[in-house]
Amino acid sequence: MKSGPVAVGLGILGVICIVLAVLYAIGALQLFTSGPGNHYKHAILLIVLAVASFVAANFARPKIAS
Amino acid sequence: MGLLQGATELFPISSLGHAVLVPSLLHWSFKQSDPSFVPFLVLLHLGTASALLVLYRRQWVEIIRGFVTAAIRGEMRTDSERLAMLLLVGTIPAAVLGVYLESRIKALFASPYEAAGFLIANGFLMLGFEALRRRTERRAALTNESRMDQEAHFTSAERISFRAAAVVGACQALAFLPGISRSGVTIGGGLLAGLRHEEAARFSFLLATPVLLGAGIVEVPQLLSSGVPIAEYLGATVLSGLAAYASARFLLRYFRSGRLDPYGWYCIAAGLASLALLHFDL
Repeated sequence: MKSGPVAVGLGILGVICIVLAVLYAIGALQLFTSGPGNHYKHAILLIVLAVASFVAANFARPKIAS
Repeated sequence: MGLLQGATELFPISSLGHAVLVPSLLHWSFKQSDPSFVPFLVLLHLGTASALLVLYRRQWVEIIRGFVTAAIRGEMRTDSERLAMLLLVGTIPAAVLGVYLESRIKALFASPYEAAGFLIANGFLMLGFEALRRRTERRAALTNESRMDQEAHFTSAERISFRAAAVVGACQALAFLPGISRSGVTIGGGLLAGLRHEEAARFSFLLATPVLLGAGIVEVPQLLSSGVPIAEYLGATVLSGLAAYASARFLLRYFRSGRLDPYGWYCIAAGLASLALLHFDL
């Protein structure tokens, strides 16, 4: 599905994932974790989700015919 | 434990179920409640993941190259590029469920009795997948053909739909239950998606590699800091890798014409035998 708004939405989702990854990594976010501390597993997952979001955004971006 | 883990991880018979059951049945002095037990198992998984990386080294080079190319271009043109994206889509549900649910589920179902029960359920799942496959073969009037000809009517991993890849990936979460086989449910899911048995096994093994590798890398620092005999653990990891490599080679050859049924019957028999042995404390 090629759509500019979808691509922008996926890009924003990717940025949100990166922000959450940083918060998990520095221990500022404890949502769905086993307890206080640095949650690198959650951070890595969110980095993967961010990469997937950016890739999906690039796929959804309408291509300009050359 | 290394040999046991490596041999059972890729066979559709649940490595976690065997890791819980066998030490209990053989009265090994292995404390499953010990904080180093899960990281140790994950270290063994790292051996399995390394074996799969070696087995599919050329494919992984193509997959990584295909991923980068397709991600930058925003379009898939080759089979490698499509397979790379399918693996990404299949890995995400397993990774999300793994990070958020794995420890909670494993803590709920860690007893040998439950592992034996789920092993029996795993056996019925394998038989169910094959029953559904046979029904598809009957509908396509393939029942009188040879096994190789029957298989030729099904497709390769690169042709699976993205929705099917996500569902097969999510099926991996079932393997957090000790006794349910990760490779079993993903191979079964692949069969339902129309893959040949050998291709379903290949997709399952490729799908397992990033998850096992990621989990291993994350857990290893915890293992190193817990004061365990690291040389013995590394030896077990090497044994696990060797056993996994041999298992993968065997299974890929077996699934050219073989089915999941023998593993299903084995799981039912092993689960029932384990329940009896545990009940009578033999």
